[in-house]
Amino acid sequence: NGAAFSKVKGSQSGQDSTRWHVVRKFLGLTSGHNIPVYLIDPLILGLVDKDIEQIRSSPDGPSPECKYFCAPRDFTTFALLDKTWKHEVGLFRTAEKMGFQWLKIINKDPRLDGMDDLSGMEIPLHYIFKLASHAIHLVVFYERSGNFLWHGPLRLKQHMDRKFVPFRKLHFGRYPGAYEKPELLLVSIDDLKVQIPKNPSSFLEEMSHSRFLECRYREARAFFQLYPDDASLDAVEFRKKAKSLLHLAALTLNNLRVKFWLSSGTCLGWYRQCNVIPHSKDVDLGIFIRDYKADIIPAFQNAGLPLKHKFGKVEDSLELSFQGEGDVKLDIFFFYEEDDHIWNGGTQAKSGKKFKYLFPKFTLCWTEFVELKVHVPCETLQYVEANYGPEWKVPVKTWDWKSSPFNVQDNGVWPIDEWDNVIQIY
Amino acid sequence: MDEWKPNPTVKPHKKRSWYLAWKYKLMNQRALRKLCQTGAVLFLLVTVIVNIKLILDTRRAAYEEEEESAQDYDDEMLNVEAPRHPVNNKKVLDVEVYSSRSKVYVAVDGTTVLEDEAREQGRGIHVIVLNQATGHVMAKRVFDTYSPHEDEAMVLFLNMVARGRILIFTIKDEGSFHLKETAKNVLKSLGSQVAPFLSWRDMWTFVGKKGGEVYGEKHAKSPALSTWGDPVLLKTEVHLTSVEDAECHWPDTELNRRRKRFCSKVEGYGSVCSCKDPTPIEFNPDPLKDNKVFDVPVAVIAGNRPNYLYRMLRSLLSAQGVNPQMITVFIDGYYEEPMDVVELFGLSGIQHTPISIKNARVSQHYKASLTATFNLFPDAKFAVVLEEDLDISVDFFSFLSQSIHLLEEDESLYCISAWNDQGYEHTAEDPSLLYRVETMPGLGWVLRKSLYKDELEPKWPTPEKLWDWDMWMRMPEQRKGRECIIPDISRSYHFGIVGLNMNGYFHEAYFKKHKFNTVPNVQLKNVESLRKDNYETEIHRLLGEAEVLDHSKNPCEDSFVPDTEGKVYVMFIRMEQEADFTTWTQLAKCLHIWDLDVRGNHKGLWRLFRKKNHFLVVGVPASPYSSKKPSSVTPIFMEPPAKEEGVAAVPAVAAAEQT
Repeated sequence: NGAAFSKVKGSQSGQDSTRWHVVRKFLGLTSGHNIPVYLIDPLILGLVDKDIEQIRSSPDGPSPECKYFCAPRDFTTFALLDKTWKHEVGLFRTAEKMGFQWLKIINKDPRLDGMDDLSGMEIPLHYIFKLASHAIHLVVFYERSGNFLWHGPLRLKQHMDRKFVPFRKLHFGRYPGAYEKPELLLVSIDDLKVQIPKNPSSFLEEMSHSRFLECRYREARAFFQLYPDDASLDAVEFRKKAKSLLHLAALTLNNLRVKFWLSSGTCLGWYRQCNVIPHSKDVDLGIFIRDYKADIIPAFQNAGLPLKHKFGKVEDSLELSFQGEGDVKLDIFFFYEEDDHIWNGGTQAKSGKKFKYLFPKFTLCWTEFVELKVHVPCETLQYVEANYGPEWKVPVKTWDWKSSPFNVQDNGVWPIDEWDNVIQIY
Repeated sequence: MDEWKPNPTVKPHKKRSWYLAWKYKLMNQRALRKLCQTGAVLFLLVTVIVNIKLILDTRRAAYEEEEESAQDYDDEMLNVEAPRHPVNNKKVLDVEVYSSRSKVYVAVDGTTVLEDEAREQGRGIHVIVLNQATGHVMAKRVFDTYSPHEDEAMVLFLNMVARGRILIFTIKDEGSFHLKETAKNVLKSLGSQVAPFLSWRDMWTFVGKKGGEVYGEKHAKSPALSTWGDPVLLKTEVHLTSVEDAECHWPDTELNRRRKRFCSKVEGYGSVCSCKDPTPIEFNPDPLKDNKVFDVPVAVIAGNRPNYLYRMLRSLLSAQGVNPQMITVFIDGYYEEPMDVVELFGLSGIQHTPISIKNARVSQHYKASLTATFNLFPDAKFAVVLEEDLDISVDFFSFLSQSIHLLEEDESLYCISAWNDQGYEHTAEDPSLLYRVETMPGLGWVLRKSLYKDELEPKWPTPEKLWDWDMWMRMPEQRKGRECIIPDISRSYHFGIVGLNMNGYFHEAYFKKHKFNTVPNVQLKNVESLRKDNYETEIHRLLGEAEVLDHSKNPCEDSFVPDTEGKVYVMFIRMEQEADFTTWTQLAKCLHIWDLDVRGNHKGLWRLFRKKNHFLVVGVPASPYSSKKPSSVTPIFMEPPAKEEGVAAVPAVAAAEQT
């Protein structure tokens, strides 16, 4: 009995029955067209999360008061999985008949962007349905290679009404985002039946660092124009092995919930050519030392990757190397945060010499690489330039990790009595 | 326009033809004078001087005109992909139509919508259809009515054009040699006065409304067998009607809105645009129970053959268990009309900027399409690959749904294909029967994602290698001894006649008589026996049961196989080693099955039907099944043909490689 219910709502101070009504109408619209939307509004999910036990236990119970959908807001955010609906004109006709004004934001399909010379249809990234003073922001999620969901940025085109809604306040769309596929739960809140992520707090946590970076496909194409790709059998083989090693490493570290990112040559390969550099001989990952876990070494060994060497120690310059299939090595560098920079260390086994590689501070973004959702530094250019210098665009085949890097510094020598511990070779 | 540069290859050609025309004329004049013998030498000289001046003037004039018309072509070049220029609320269209031996063009309101002066092509009658309300070009066709049967195609096409459309005709080179009475009558019924009398090397232009008025017609008779009629240029005006009058009044539904958009843009699709009783564009075939391929993406590889694509998509969307949301059409090039067809059916389409040339272009288009398919459907383990010139059997998805688990579980499999290279009307019999073959037939097949991603994509032939993608996929380096599963009766039918590697004769000989399953819901027989080891057991069982044929008879003769039904027979042919197909090729030739290369074999064994009996051919001693040969039987050996025949076959083989 929505009308009676809303009467109660409206009478309460600081509450907005308009919002509740608009949400109800919107849910009616989507269920009428069999479009399975789910709620991702961070403010509401935040409130819901506090009461989640109670909401879960009484999926049908009537609400004594309007706790969630009546706080006065300009908009409420929902999500839609692209593959669960067929883009149909009918939805918009019904919406108009119900009094909604709507806006569609479309753009290029990033899943085709990486491909030479394909032009698909533009895909819808965001919809906004406005009724009276309230708007529904519907974010369209797409499945990407690497088993994750992606939503696009919200960019207005020239002719669009910039004042349709307060765009800057929207919670989604400033950047593209990457998410795991959520498990959904049908709940009844404020007498509205609505799907929400089963675990709202982990969704909100995920949202806080969901920013996604697309590979620079156009620049990568330009790079290959200048330096044609190595199509030799060796290159094909190496890429295949590097890819499967990276998949295995990602699986292992994700299981341990250890955050990692593409570093050194692997990061350069992603940034410069959207692919593994075929003449690199290993796969490089970075991990913040604060995320270090003792389980890492046994976990890799269980995954079939024996430890090849271990340099340094947790307090200083830690570096692990694992032996992958067929001569491909997995190098894991641990990064130490200082006030104004971040560094990782290197060790020369025969001399005990220490090296230090300095980077400007960075945050982590998601990207898609060799069919994997992985982290890279968001400030990739600074990261790559720090490591490889301004000439990073030019391929270099001979590389000495002790002298070639742009950011290498001597860092003294390990005391002899520590060698047994800080230089372990298997 | 400002950047236009004269095309050096065109100018001299054009100049010469004008020059020659004048020269012949002038020589005739001179001859007359000579014959009459009335002119004095002085007078002759004066005439010559005048004539020379005339020639020079004409040359200059021709040159200038050349430059002018060439600018039109430049326009055309810019508009090559989008000839449907908008006409702003104008009620009258200026139409120019030019017909000559070496060049035709049509300009509508100053925009060239057709221009063809290429040598050795474009011969015959060019037809353009304009929308009577907007003036947009809706169809452009050329019918080489110098050659047989093309006039029938033209009649078919003209009959499909809706009443009220504006039709423009022009002849390039020769268009009358095989223009038969029926076709002439159709042209006459459109209002042409000249068509019934069109003859050898006449030039002709005609503009008229279907079922309505005639806007103009020009004709130039060829004076002699060895020469062409003079070029003719027809300039006329066409009055546009209102948009209302030009459209059908179908009920306003989403489907009809798609139909309307389509029908106002293109012509030549027959009843789909009929006002009275339009053919459906949504098919809703029965869903399949327990459909294992409902979520498998379907990539349709297309070029610029929109009529084929239309036919193909109709059959695809009519197949039981089809899931239109999984279909993507990949169009090689920025062609509008194929995209219009895709949108008519509410499917998604992707255009691909052509890279490379000929076969390499096809190959690059395939790669891009496959990569895009797996990007768009990242969860998919397989993709169905189809081409625009295939009919799809009603039980295509049912066939795949019953067999796809094999591709998932049996690593010795390379693909599942809907096509049996040896499945002709007289050699295929059992819709429930499957085979394992060492060749990869293509023409409607399923590709495993891991095969593509891990093996094929990384080393796909680069554009500078002018390889056919399918020949490359068949190479041992790629196939690595794996096999494909095929049905006895094909689930696809190859109807394409005009294609890169196709011609009418070739199609007639090798594709027309192919058997195509039309029975719905066929329950496949003993699918598990197609697994690697099970299949060997099955073959041994079959060979054990098979009756050995009389090897003293001629295997090409019908009497070689007894007049029975439902029995299993075996014959042994000579096959010295794995790659010795001498006898097989001769046998294939006389059985009228695919003989251009070796197809459909499994360890030196071929399986087909003759007179409704299962017919096995074993190559001895190369085949491991040779042990089944009774010692009394001498394997049949057949001689390769005489030299000339072999030479004649060479171009056919080259043409066959694509398929």
